[in-house]
Amino acid sequence: MWLSILGLILGISLGLLTDIQIPPEYANYLSIAVLASLDTLFGGIRAHLQQVYDDKVFVSGFFFNIALAAGLAFLGVHLGVDLYLAAIFAFGVRLFQNIAVIRRIILTKWAEKKELRETQG
Amino acid sequence: MKNPKKSNRRFSKSIIFSLVFLVLGFIMAYSFSLSQAEKNKSGYTGGAFFEQEERFRGQLIEQQERNKDLRAELEEKQAAVQKYEQSFSDGPDRFSDYADEAESLRRYVGALPVEGDGLKVTLQDGEYDGNSENPNDYIVHESHVFQVINELYISGAQAISVNGQRIDGNSYIVCTGPVITVDGVQYPAPFTIEAIGKSDVLESSMKLSGGVMDQLLNDNIIVTLDMGQKISMPAMLSES
Repeated sequence: MWLSILGLILGISLGLLTDIQIPPEYANYLSIAVLASLDTLFGGIRAHLQQVYDDKVFVSGFFFNIALAAGLAFLGVHLGVDLYLAAIFAFGVRLFQNIAVIRRIILTKWAEKKELRETQG
Repeated sequence: MKNPKKSNRRFSKSIIFSLVFLVLGFIMAYSFSLSQAEKNKSGYTGGAFFEQEERFRGQLIEQQERNKDLRAELEEKQAAVQKYEQSFSDGPDRFSDYADEAESLRRYVGALPVEGDGLKVTLQDGEYDGNSENPNDYIVHESHVFQVINELYISGAQAISVNGQRIDGNSYIVCTGPVITVDGVQYPAPFTIEAIGKSDVLESSMKLSGGVMDQLLNDNIIVTLDMGQKISMPAMLSES
């Protein structure tokens, strides 16, 4: 747990401190990568709450989704098709769905807890 | 046997997680800083000549303001150095001698404003002469200014200024049409050449028969000599 928080802080500081300039047309890929990683993260949280979580799926999904999204955007730029829109759409929709599921699970858990307390008290 | 294996697995799991979070944090922070940089860049839309000019003007004004600041700082520093040297003179004699020498040298090179007795020479264009076809025959040229300055230096002037601007070894005087340019600053006639030194010596050397004054009068220039005045000159800090 602490190690992962340390990793997050390290990553953020590394990202803020890097001075590498990339051409603006590649900024698209980065935004898609951000979206993909967020999607995978929330997917992982949802899977954990639904007790179907698996390490390998999560980690492989995390890196593979990032690579796939960036690759798709790259391909789209070179084909002249806005393929990154597809990635943004897919990940955006999934992100919202995942968050909705997480919210519902947490709500039901909370309601169960409350009921349990009332029956006990 | 079972427990260490389990903790080992947990350890590797947390390693993997930290790696994942590292990548996540890096990507997010990097894209954040990138979009921030983009925002800064988009202030200048480019292309239009007008905007470019405006931008350059802004830069120029910035530079000039910085120059002004730096000049003020320089003056401050010089004052500080002078003060420091004066504080030496309270100490051993050697130091005070050095300080005095530095001070006098500084006066010579024009780094300090100076004041003293001297001679003031005013060169004025001659009266308009209808008979003369060439106006060059009765206006002051830069060579006349040269002559006067040279003569003053020869007769022992310690500091010379033209129209209130200090002259030193690197100064230049150019004829630019009807005016003359002294170290990049233009002046019209009449020219006031001030010299600090022994005013009687300076005056008599100007008035030598066949000397500078006679030559100037020969060229139809109105020359006025003014002696016995306190002459003060600014420091040589011209913007060239």
